[in-house]
Amino acid sequence: MPVAKEQKTNPLALDFCGLSLDSPIVLLSGCVGFGEEYTRVEGFSNRDAGAIVLKGTTREPRLGNPPHRVSETPMGMLNAIGLQNPGVDRVVDEILPTLDFAETRFIANVCGSRIEDYAAVTRRFDNSAIDAIEINISCPNIKEGGVSFGNYPDMSAKVVAACRAETTKPIIAKLSPNQTDIRENARRCIEAGADALAVINTITGMAIDVERRRPVIGNIQGGLSGPAIKPIALLKVRQVYEVAGPLGIPIIGQGGIATARDALEFLIAGASTVGVGTALFYDPLVCRTINEGIGSYLVRHGFGSVAELTGTLVTGTAPATPRPGPANESCA
Amino acid sequence: MSDPARPHRGTIFVEDAEVLSIDRHPGGQFILRLRSPKCATRATAGSFVHVQCDHTIPMRRPLSIMRANADEGWIEVLFKVVGEGLFSLGHKEPGDRVSSLGPIGKGFRPDAKRPRTLLIGGGVGIPPMIFLAETLLNDAGNWQPLAIMGSELPFPFELRRSAIAAGWIDADVDRNLGLLEDWGVAGRLASLTGFPGTYRGYVTGLAERYLASLDDSALAEVEVFSCGPTPMLKAVAALAARFGLPCQVSLEEYMACAVGGCAGCAVLVQTDEGPAMKRVCVDGPVFDAARVFAAA
Ligand SMILES: Cc1cc2nc3c(=O)[nH]c(=O)nc-3n(C[C@H](O)[C@H](O)[C@H](O)COP(=O)(O)OP(=O)(O)OC[C@H]3O[C@@H](n4cnc5c(N)ncnc54)[C@H](O)[C@@H]3O)c2cc1C
Ligand SMILES: Cc1cc2nc3c(=O)[nH]c(=O)nc-3n(C[C@H](O)[C@H](O)[C@H](O)COP(=O)(O)O)c2cc1C
Ligand code: FES
Repeated sequence: MPVAKEQKTNPLALDFCGLSLDSPIVLLSGCVGFGEEYTRVEGFSNRDAGAIVLKGTTREPRLGNPPHRVSETPMGMLNAIGLQNPGVDRVVDEILPTLDFAETRFIANVCGSRIEDYAAVTRRFDNSAIDAIEINISCPNIKEGGVSFGNYPDMSAKVVAACRAETTKPIIAKLSPNQTDIRENARRCIEAGADALAVINTITGMAIDVERRRPVIGNIQGGLSGPAIKPIALLKVRQVYEVAGPLGIPIIGQGGIATARDALEFLIAGASTVGVGTALFYDPLVCRTINEGIGSYLVRHGFGSVAELTGTLVTGTAPATPRPGPANESCA
Repeated sequence: MSDPARPHRGTIFVEDAEVLSIDRHPGGQFILRLRSPKCATRATAGSFVHVQCDHTIPMRRPLSIMRANADEGWIEVLFKVVGEGLFSLGHKEPGDRVSSLGPIGKGFRPDAKRPRTLLIGGGVGIPPMIFLAETLLNDAGNWQPLAIMGSELPFPFELRRSAIAAGWIDADVDRNLGLLEDWGVAGRLASLTGFPGTYRGYVTGLAERYLASLDDSALAEVEVFSCGPTPMLKAVAALAARFGLPCQVSLEEYMACAVGGCAGCAVLVQTDEGPAMKRVCVDGPVFDAARVFAAA
């Protein structure tokens, strides 16, 4: 039998619920359009991300909210786009065929106002080239008077179960931070069949133009993202990891990641992959910096692959165990 | 490495642009020249850059490109301080660096069948009109641009008595921007404030005087281009509609990514398929006025 040649493995590569990713970076829904937008920028490559989540997609086309839809806040931003999208049929028939699936993994982001809508959109994506399906349970539930599915574990689980019945592709449930106990919601989504969890979506907020005494955002309220929400997101990832980690359910940690150090914090807290959204608006080439930073950290700390870092948070009084390897060379 | 199937790829550049000069003008107005060679080669009239004003304010600010010199590798922007972003940008000194993303957007597309291009700029809407004037000047076509610029702050340019006659307006309305005069581009100025040598009133009032002086065959050769505050653009669109003229306007909207990724800058546009939300950053910023403003 021929001996397997020693292959130079990419320490940033990992398996994420059956998908092989070249980097732990996931570009987040709503920040990168339908996958091609950022390639306008010279030096940006879809290959720098392990996966790209497409814009939230609904059964019917949606025009979205009136302006203003975005507004800067201290170290963050508010957005209320209103899920502008051409509807799932056009996404599947017209957009997916234009994407280069050799470059990265593409994940759909499914939204709806009724459980039937989520199921229908998932069914349509199941019969497409898409690699995985993220369920954005933060959409308002029109049947229940507009409250978010994602803020209630029961409703979240119903949505996930309905989508699970429609697809064999990996399902990622995207959890809302706007709820009392995110652990319970995570547990229920896993029981309902989620293969992975995305933690967290934006936090609701608002801004007021005092001169005009009007809300800045056309929709009055919006979702807060960016570095301002990072400490909140990190704790939520830690809490969800307590539930999901033992069950082997991976997490896409997200909320304010802008540097390699931020990304490392999320990985250590329990995320397997790290989402980057708002930071792209600051620096469209940030993926490369983050990949390089994670790579050199792995070397410095003697980790052979990024997957080894997940959930290695040291608590209590014990010192972090030193790891063998080149780390010691650079000890200062 | 251009990809024929994806011509949009690699068309916007991130540059760590050195400040070559910054001219300060009354009313918090600034003209900033940046070393940005890649952007300079692809910039067109109406395109813009998305600049980071300060490390503590990570969100970029969109600014129209006023001039671009590909040979010398620079671009110029003109801005007026509104809030803390542009306030910080106004404090840059030559030698400082500014991260600039550009050029972005679909610019003005003048129709050669309408060589009488009427450029109407208001306040910080003047920059793309200057770019368009310079573009027409360097184009082989038989363009006859007329620039009508308005400002309530002192114009951040040298003003000059125009040597280019304009029989359609009173002789005491005789000032033009020195820059346009140098290029031989006809121009007149408007301000409610009544700066010397300017038309006391709105740019649309001055433009109307010009249009009213033309006969039908001359009117058939006019196309209107405009950038400025939204109420002004609406008035320009209404004026153009009244004279039956095509009109292109450059819009502003709050932006996050400026490369088409977030849909944060979308505005309502009437398309052949019905109403649609179009992104000001990459579908615009220039739109057909009749499709963005309801007929007045
Ligand atoms: C395509 C385009 C071209 C522009 N060209 C010019 C130009 O050449 N010269 C110039 O002076 N101004 C121009 N503007 C407007 C300029 O971008 C805003 O005045 C600027 O963003 C205000 O930032 P600030 O921090 O000073 O104000 P703040 O009010 O503190 O800004 C707060 C937030 O609101 C956004 N914002 C506020 N006003 C506007 C606006 N009018 N348009 C877009 N975003 C806004 C800011 O970007 C920022 O995110 C242009 C806008 C667009 C969309
Ligand atoms: C402009 C914008 C649009 C967004 N649209 C969606 C969406 O359609 N679906 C979704 O699940 N999340 C959406 N999000 C949330 C992001 O995917 C992400 O979860 C959140 O912004 C936190 O990450 P960040 O701080 O890195 O941006 C959007 C965020 C932004 C800023
Ligand atoms: S600003 Fe993001 S799409 Fe225009």
